[in-house]
Amino acid sequence: MTPATVLPRTVFPGAQVEDVQVVAMLVRRCIAGDSAAWEEIVQTYNRRIYNICYRFAGSRDDAEDLTQEVFIKMYRTLSAYDSSKGAFVTWVTTITRNLLVDHFRKSKQDRMTDSIDTASSEHEDVLPLSEQIQDTSAPPDSHVRSREVSERVHAALGKLSPELREAVILRDLQDMDYREIATVLRVPEGTVKSRINRGRAELARLLQRTYKQVM
Amino acid sequence: MPEHIQNGMQCHEFEALLSDVLDRVLSGVELDRFQAHAQSCAMCGPLLTEAEAGRTWLKGLTEVEPPASLVGSILASTTGVDSQRLRATAHAPQPRISRLEHAQAWLSGSLEPILATIRQPRFAMSFGMAFFALSVGLTVAGVKPSDVRQISLRPAAIRRTYYATQAKVVRYYENARIVYELQSRLREFRRMVPAEPGPATQKDHKNDTTQQPEQREERNYSRSDHDYLLARAPLGPNRDDLPVVSVSTYRRFV
Repeated sequence: MTPATVLPRTVFPGAQVEDVQVVAMLVRRCIAGDSAAWEEIVQTYNRRIYNICYRFAGSRDDAEDLTQEVFIKMYRTLSAYDSSKGAFVTWVTTITRNLLVDHFRKSKQDRMTDSIDTASSEHEDVLPLSEQIQDTSAPPDSHVRSREVSERVHAALGKLSPELREAVILRDLQDMDYREIATVLRVPEGTVKSRINRGRAELARLLQRTYKQVM
Repeated sequence: MPEHIQNGMQCHEFEALLSDVLDRVLSGVELDRFQAHAQSCAMCGPLLTEAEAGRTWLKGLTEVEPPASLVGSILASTTGVDSQRLRATAHAPQPRISRLEHAQAWLSGSLEPILATIRQPRFAMSFGMAFFALSVGLTVAGVKPSDVRQISLRPAAIRRTYYATQAKVVRYYENARIVYELQSRLREFRRMVPAEPGPATQKDHKNDTTQQPEQREERNYSRSDHDYLLARAPLGPNRDDLPVVSVSTYRRFV
């Protein structure tokens, strides 16, 4: 049995009670010094954390560094986790989000929605977003699975403000429910919903504006 | 967002229900009201369209694969052990590490850079010389290792040693004062007693210049600053033919 198969994906939102207990036991083993338990945790959550970091930071290198930092922080503060206060995945996501916010503040990469044609991310190379879209004849949902379009959406996501970006990442990419997102972001559920709606609308506006400029 | 009431629904109410509609959890009369408001409100209609489109874009994004080396890097940076090693030792009984061993490991890890510097030959030589000088100094001072071993570090013993040392110093000072007083008295007595004439032992030191080095030196340096020195030259028939060179010499004060 490989470590990756120890924990089913149901430990994520919508987790069953027994899965939560499994995670809690794994955490206890890890705190007791069981290095195999820690490896299971790393194997289980590294993909999720890496994806959150990648979508928020926008760069694979940054995502790798940040994921490592998240696990280092987790390793040091694992004893502070209280299973009665919330799911482990929420705790992990909170650590990740806090670290991402710190990273964002340090790097000062404030990409606001209005700056659509300004400096590009690593996926856009040198050309602005508007110059990279070539095929505009088909509706967006028919192309969304293509790699190029995914990269453009990823680039547009990076142009959202951090508050909107983190909300839509947790909701639409990580499938967390509103209550969990509210816990992670430390804001009311109503604010979470509002940010998600605004984030989605902003993203669509960014991409639509791009299409109009090409046309 | 400015408040507008369209079909019995306000815009803020519309926004609050927007997530539920997109999640497809709203139904019945509420959904009808919502859709009616979306069709009639010039602001909320586009918002619904955009939010739906944005959600579709985002849902189309697939998960990216983390680098294969990520897990190994994480394990190395947290536990200090790479993944393969962990797997190999996962089922092996984990030895219990005592606090002493932890402390030893920490000490050896933190002192290693310092020890590496000290192990260099030049530092070893310096330390060797310092140790030699210290041991010689202690031996000359009369300190023996057995004495050091007998030193008690209890506060009472340290206090006693301090007072004993202080008493020794005071005693030494008092004794020295008495000796000086005696010496000065003796000197006074000698002055009071008239000196007896000693035998006249006058030697002829005519050629002995060693007794008057100062005068010799004075003679050497008492020359005038502007004496004329005669340059070495073949002697001519007349003294006036000799070349004369004027040399200024400066007296040295030592």
